[in-house]
Amino acid sequence: MSGRELPGTERRGDDGPVLRKGVGIPASGWFDPRGRALGGFAFAVNRVTGLGLVAYLYLHLAVLSMLLRGESAWSGFLRLATNWLFLSLDVLLIFGILYHGLNGIRVALVGSGVVPDRQKALWWALGVIGTITLAFSALHIYGSR
Amino acid sequence: MATARIRETVRRRSPRVPRSAGEWRIMTLTGLGLLVLLTIHMIANHFVVKSVGGLRDYRQVLAYIANPVIFTIESLFLLFVTVHAMLGLRSVLLDLDAGPRLHRWIDRGLALLGLATLAYGYFLIGTLASRA
Repeated sequence: MSGRELPGTERRGDDGPVLRKGVGIPASGWFDPRGRALGGFAFAVNRVTGLGLVAYLYLHLAVLSMLLRGESAWSGFLRLATNWLFLSLDVLLIFGILYHGLNGIRVALVGSGVVPDRQKALWWALGVIGTITLAFSALHIYGSR
Repeated sequence: MATARIRETVRRRSPRVPRSAGEWRIMTLTGLGLLVLLTIHMIANHFVVKSVGGLRDYRQVLAYIANPVIFTIESLFLLFVTVHAMLGLRSVLLDLDAGPRLHRWIDRGLALLGLATLAYGYFLIGTLASRA
């Protein structure tokens, strides 16, 4: 070996997590955000909310199918859907939509090269917008009772 | 030159196929479209209705979906959300380092699921609009 190796060359064969800086995490283990940078944490939450929203898409279609069974079936669902627990799930849904949507804007802006070096600032700024919107939505939902 | 050789080596070692630029573009465009359509959907559907949780009763839902503008918006929303969801699911599944054979099955399965979702969704929207 020459004395002009790149730093960390001797660790290339080691097993274990790959430590890297910036956006993106290794192919496996994205669901474990421990010890990751903000970008890795944001990515993990983005995926969890995305999977939750896909599950909700099918739940939503199933719920809307009640409309096919007529007015009485829908009225029965409305009675269930307007209780406190159900409305809380609505707030959770709005959190998922806001996080996934606003983080998507951040990823699009960073990934397309519009603001490649401002990902942390964007995360915090969009986080503030998301929190305010979530608070407004929660007040609207609970206030409608 | 050296960078290209390293990239080629990594590509040969890893069975995972990286997300293509086209897929990223579709994901981004459908995502941006969804932000607009979802905002309209949420406001028109839940935030202008004066009832608990902003939920419409049966007659209100039928009248709502029968409106041609709303019908178009909801149809586009269904298309965008399904494409975005299937691409997102694909990305999560391919992250599990699927081999080429499993990769093909994932693509076929998600294409079928997406088509079934669109077919059922349009059937639902169309049937409800026709009842108004």
